[in-house]
Amino acid sequence: MTRITTFALALLVALAGFAAAQTRGGTLVAAWEQEPVGLDPHITSARSSYQVLENVIDTLLTLDAEQTIVASLAESWEVADDGLTVTFTLREGVRFSNGTDLVADHVVTVFDRLLDEETGSGNAWRLAGVTDIAAPDDRTVVMTLESPNPSLLGHLASSQALGIFDPAGVDDGTINTRPVGTGPFMITDFQPGTSLMLERNPHYWQEGLPYLDAVDIRIIGDETVIRSSLVTGDIDWAFTVPAQSVEELEARDDVVIDSAAAGAYYYIGVNTEEGPLADVRVRQAISFAINRDNVATAAEFGNAEVTQDPIPSSSAWDFGYAPYGYDPERARSLLAEAGYPDGFEMEIMPTSFIQPTIRAAQVIQADLAAVGIRTQIRTLEWAEWLQEQGEGNYDTYVCSWNGLVDPDDFFYAQHKTGEVFNFTGYSNPRVDELLDEARMIPEFDARRELYEEINATIVDEAPYIYLYNPLEIHAYHPDVMGFEARADQAVRFVTTWLDR
Amino acid sequence: MSLSYLLRRLGTLLLVLVGVSILTFAIIPLIPGSPARVMLGVQATPATVATLERQMGLDRPLPVQYLSWVSGIVTRGDFGTSLISRQPISREVARRLPATLNLAVVALLIGLAIALPAGFVSAMKPGSARDLGVSIMSQLGVSVPDFWMGILLILLFSETLGLLPSSGYRPLSDGFVPWARHIILPALTVGIISGSIMARFVRSALLEVLHQDYVRTAHAKGLPGAVVLRKHVLRNAAISIATIVGLQMATLLSAVVVVEIIFAWPGLGQLALTATLQRDYPALQAAVLLSAVAFAVVNLLTDLSYMFLDPRVAYD
Repeated sequence: MTRITTFALALLVALAGFAAAQTRGGTLVAAWEQEPVGLDPHITSARSSYQVLENVIDTLLTLDAEQTIVASLAESWEVADDGLTVTFTLREGVRFSNGTDLVADHVVTVFDRLLDEETGSGNAWRLAGVTDIAAPDDRTVVMTLESPNPSLLGHLASSQALGIFDPAGVDDGTINTRPVGTGPFMITDFQPGTSLMLERNPHYWQEGLPYLDAVDIRIIGDETVIRSSLVTGDIDWAFTVPAQSVEELEARDDVVIDSAAAGAYYYIGVNTEEGPLADVRVRQAISFAINRDNVATAAEFGNAEVTQDPIPSSSAWDFGYAPYGYDPERARSLLAEAGYPDGFEMEIMPTSFIQPTIRAAQVIQADLAAVGIRTQIRTLEWAEWLQEQGEGNYDTYVCSWNGLVDPDDFFYAQHKTGEVFNFTGYSNPRVDELLDEARMIPEFDARRELYEEINATIVDEAPYIYLYNPLEIHAYHPDVMGFEARADQAVRFVTTWLDR
Repeated sequence: MSLSYLLRRLGTLLLVLVGVSILTFAIIPLIPGSPARVMLGVQATPATVATLERQMGLDRPLPVQYLSWVSGIVTRGDFGTSLISRQPISREVARRLPATLNLAVVALLIGLAIALPAGFVSAMKPGSARDLGVSIMSQLGVSVPDFWMGILLILLFSETLGLLPSSGYRPLSDGFVPWARHIILPALTVGIISGSIMARFVRSALLEVLHQDYVRTAHAKGLPGAVVLRKHVLRNAAISIATIVGLQMATLLSAVVVVEIIFAWPGLGQLALTATLQRDYPALQAAVLLSAVAFAVVNLLTDLSYMFLDPRVAYD
């Protein structure tokens, strides 16, 4: 039986000692480029929404800066030996920002809603295998699974979609604009498209936190203007700045560039179901033909690490598997072997919603032309892109996955036969078997061995052609203290304070 | 002007609005993509998309959706609920309308303040260096895209000179100075562009009148130049200028969309763009309908202004 207890007490003591140096009070003016697309944690999928929710709702578990799973609303948790029951003990005395006491029934109601098909949540898969959630008493939540799911704890710790909010908001319809949570801040005003005000939660369970009175989030839809606003002092903190300005801003005294290798990757998704792309040699040829350094330079102005497999080098799960050097010769011979000595025509589909995908597609187009693959770029805006991708109307597309932590996040839903996000049509029974098996093994080393094989097979068979891991970059004034860019891309202001 | 004329015009306006609303309702479903997919992002599955679309009422036949939307407006003045934020659109529109009206009016005033003197100066001496200067400036103003103009102004006035805030809106009720400081740059962006366009029309309108026989006659009978200008030239050119100003409102409405995004200006243009990108159909409908109303009302006012500018014009 694995018993994991928490460092809550030590953490609190450390924070209390730490707190003496911080200044309390003040409002941080922050700029988001994209506006939240609704704030219902179960329905939205937008990063802009989840990064607001990071500060408003808590999850049962969370990740510390080193990406280790630690306690949050659950002060301890216990996985049964057979992996089929997980028991959480909730922290005592936690209240929602509206003053309601958090009890286990709230957790059950929230997760039941997530799993209810009528909710239409795109996040229910994160609780894969869970068949029942029960609250034997006010502080105990028991999850029953039909099969073990080691990535469950990772999901509970890393996804705001699994955060706990006051279920009353579902009935009164405020869940989408003002979800009420137990987090350090509460939403006091939301003007869609314009601004969102976070104020200190008076009932927050971590003594002495947050330091800030409020975070005034403004939506500024143009990155260049965000940069100017930061430089002129109209805002204190920027979610993003233009990739091409990072170097210039780094050189300034009045701006701090804070970056971390993100649990995210950019890739080419290949429709493996028909035409030349159904041939693995053709997909490998594409992978050999692409100069990833050039792609990263063009797409992110160098603020990225090129990669050939998905998991970033900062993770314990990094495999560093890199069989594809930039080798146009090899690409041409693979194409010839596959019966396309003169190349072929295909389409690549980036989206204007994620500008780096457009710049990446342009480099890819040039690289592929050099080996005879004539590529048309079809740039779509987000809504149309999602539809075309979802319906499989593409040859290749460029996109990114973000906020991934557990290796299961990187492979399962994307590559298992028939899984929900397997849009490439990739299917390999051996990979399917390994993916299911790896899910059930708790030991790191044994698990790692399986993922190593999965990783290598997928890279070799190339339904996804991996390009680079981006850096998570935030920019702010030097007097903004206690904020840290994180590998899981979470934006948390709980320990942020202003040195003014 | 008779009451019946006004009623007739208002009746036509109503027909136009019904036409516009049917047209947008018919066109919108042809745009690929759905609000359910936007909400769900890359994690959408056919099942979740279907569930959300049902919750949003998008599974009903189009005519049913249309009629329920229209009856909401007619009976309750209710534009429906945003599919994304699930907030009443009427409230959203009411919040944003003042910001856009502020911007449009100030931009138009700036445009006129540029166009009238510039057009006048160049028309007085066509072919002169002054005329050439005005042409070059207005050509520049017309050619520079609005988003670029906005960013240049921010770089100059906010970043380099540190005089004005780079984005945001403050209502007049917060005080004149904060209001003015925030509105200058966005209004200038739109104003310079529309002023440049209008300057050319003002110039040609004045030139056309200046070449009329009655102007020559007025000069010939010894009227002082200023009187000729005031009584004969400006009065007669005013009609064409009013027409241009009316037409400029259309340009203004589209420029406002871009400028509102750049300056984080919480207006209707921003609403329209977000609604389009997120496929928030009811919000988009409201934005389109309001633009149509604005355009039609400005047209009506332009037509009515002819009566005051030119006694020969009478509506009956």
